[in-house]
Amino acid sequence: MTQEMSVPRAGSSAMIGVEAWHPRRRIAWWTVVRHATLVFFMLIVLLPLFWVLLLSAKSLPDAYQRYVWPHLFVHPLWVNYEYAWQKIPTLRQNYLNSVLVTLGTIVCASVASVLGGYALVHLRTPAKNVVVALLVASLFFPTRVTALIGIYDVQSQLGLINKTWGLIFPYTALSVAISTFIMRGIFETVPREIVESAKVDGASSWRTLLQIVLPLVRNGIVVVVIVNFVAAWGEYLLALTLMNDLSRKTLPVVIATASGGMGAWVWPRLASVYIMAIIPGLVAFGISQRWFMRGLQEGALKG
Amino acid sequence: MAVVDRPFDAHLPGTTPRGQTGAVRALTKALLTWPYLIPILIFFIGWQIYPIFLALKVSFTDEQFLSGQAAHWIGFQNYTTVLRDHLFWLGLGRAAIFTALFVPGMIMIPMVLAVMIDKVGSNRIATLYRLVLLIPAMIPAPLIFLLWRWMYDLRIGPINYLLVDVLHLYTIQTQPQWLGDPHLAFFSLAIMEWWWGLGYHTMFFLAGLATVPRDLFDAARLDGANEWRLFWGITVPRLLPVILVLAVLRFGSAMAVIDEYLIMGAFDRTRPTYTWTVYMWDQAFGGGMQPRGYAAAIGWLGAIAMLIVVIGMFYLFRSRD
Repeated sequence: MTQEMSVPRAGSSAMIGVEAWHPRRRIAWWTVVRHATLVFFMLIVLLPLFWVLLLSAKSLPDAYQRYVWPHLFVHPLWVNYEYAWQKIPTLRQNYLNSVLVTLGTIVCASVASVLGGYALVHLRTPAKNVVVALLVASLFFPTRVTALIGIYDVQSQLGLINKTWGLIFPYTALSVAISTFIMRGIFETVPREIVESAKVDGASSWRTLLQIVLPLVRNGIVVVVIVNFVAAWGEYLLALTLMNDLSRKTLPVVIATASGGMGAWVWPRLASVYIMAIIPGLVAFGISQRWFMRGLQEGALKG
Repeated sequence: MAVVDRPFDAHLPGTTPRGQTGAVRALTKALLTWPYLIPILIFFIGWQIYPIFLALKVSFTDEQFLSGQAAHWIGFQNYTTVLRDHLFWLGLGRAAIFTALFVPGMIMIPMVLAVMIDKVGSNRIATLYRLVLLIPAMIPAPLIFLLWRWMYDLRIGPINYLLVDVLHLYTIQTQPQWLGDPHLAFFSLAIMEWWWGLGYHTMFFLAGLATVPRDLFDAARLDGANEWRLFWGITVPRLLPVILVLAVLRFGSAMAVIDEYLIMGAFDRTRPTYTWTVYMWDQAFGGGMQPRGYAAAIGWLGAIAMLIVVIGMFYLFRSRD
C-alpha cells in the first residue's frame, strides 16, 4: 500500500521540485507511527506469554518475588515440566480428556458443517431458510447460559453426566452455528456453474461434493477445524458443570481451579502446565496458518 | 440419492402428465437433500433448542435439584419472584456496566489496527502482524483469565511491578488492586477481553477493508484530504456494517459473560462480578438445594432482557441505513 501511496506523489514531486519534500516526509512520518504502533501491540501480545514462559523456569524463591528476571533459573530448565507431567495426579488423564473431546468435536463439527453448508448453498433443499434463520437467531440469544440447565438435564437423561466423551455433543452444538456460517461463506465462493455442470454430467450431489467441491473448500475446512479446536480445547463452563470427578475433567478446568501458589501447584509448575496447555493450539495454528489466512480471505468472515 | 439427483429426461414413465411428474420428482429430489442437514439439526436441536425449552419448562416448576422431591408446576411464580429480586436487577445492571465499558474499545482498537495493517506495504510484514495479533485468539479461554490473574497479581504481577518498582508511580500500599477494587475490576477485565479479541476482531475489519475500492482513497488523496479525513470520511462509513454487526454480537457475548466471573470473581454477592449469569449458576449448580426452577427463570428473564435490547439495536441500525 505504501507503494501505491508514494507513486503519484513521486511523479508530482519530480515536476514541482522542492515543495514536494513536504508531503513525502509526512508519508514517512505516518509509516513510522504506524509500524511503531503495530510493534507496540505485538509486544503487548507477546510479553505476557513470555512472562509465563519465564515463570515456568524460575526457581521457587524467585517465582514469589516481584522482579521479573530471576536471579536463579531451575536446572535443567524443563524440570518443572517434568515434575508437573509425572507427579501431579490426574494431569496426564486430564490432558488426554482434552485431546479426546477436542478431536471428537472437530470431527463432528467439520462433517456437520460441510454437509450442511453444501446443502444450504448448492442444493434446493426445502425450508433451508428456516434453518438459516434459526442458526442466525441462536447467535443473538445467550444460549450458553440459558440452555445450561436444560443441557444438564439432557446429558443426565442420556447418562452422560461425568462422562468426558459426552461433552462432544454440547461442544459441537455450541459451535455448529458459527461453523455452518463459515462453511456457507466458503461454499458461496464455489461457482454454481461447476456444481450445475457436474449435475448435468450425471454426478449425484454426494459425488459432486466429495470429488469436485470438497477440494475447492479445503481452506474453509481448516478455518472450521481451528475455530472448533480453540472452542473445544478451551471450553470451561460445560466441563465445569457436567463433570464431577477430577480425573474426568478437562485440562482448562483443572488449571483454572488449581488456584496456584501451593503444594504441587506452586507458580512455576502451574506456569509449565500452562505452557503445555497452550502449545497444541499455537502449533496447530502455526502449521495451518497459511490455509487458515487464505480461508479467512476467501470469505469465511463474510458468511 | 444417486438415482434421484440425475437430470430429469432419462427414465420418465410417460403415463402421467409431464408437468406434474416433474413437480413431484423435483419435490422428492429436494426432500432427499435433507440428509445433508440432519447432522447440523441433531446437534443444534438436541443440544441447543431442546435444552432452551427444557429450561423454560423447568422455570415454571419449583424444582430443587438436591431436595430429592418431585417438581410441581407453579406457573409464573418464579418469574414474579425474580422480578422482585433485587439481586437479579443488580446483576443485570452490573452486566450492562461491563458491556458499556467493553464494547466501544472492542470495536475502536481493532478497527484502528486493521486500518494500519491494511496500509503496510510489505505483504510479509503485514502477515507477521496478523499472525502475532491472532495468538491470543488461539489460547483457551480459562488460560487467558489465568494469565491476566497473574498479570494483575499484587505480589508477583508484572504490571504492578512496572508501576511500583520501575516507574515509582505507586507504592506497595497504594498500588492499584486491579481485580480487588470494585471500581477497577470491570476495567481490568475489559483490558483482558480487548487483549484476547485483538487479532480476531482485527481480522473482521480487514475483511471489511478488503471490499473498499482503492481508487476512492487515491481520488480523495489527490484532492488533498489527509489521513485523518480519509479515515473518518471513507473508512469508517465503509466499515459501518461490520461495526454494527460486531456491536450487536459483542453486546450479546458481553452481557452473558460468565466464565470470567466464575474464575476471577468467585461467588461474592457484593462484588461487581456477581452478575445475573453468575447468580443463575450459583442457584442452579452452587450451594443450597440448587433451586433450578428459580435459576431457569433468572436465565430466561436475563435472555429476554437482552433480546429486547438486541431487537432495539437492530431497529435503530436498520432505520439509520
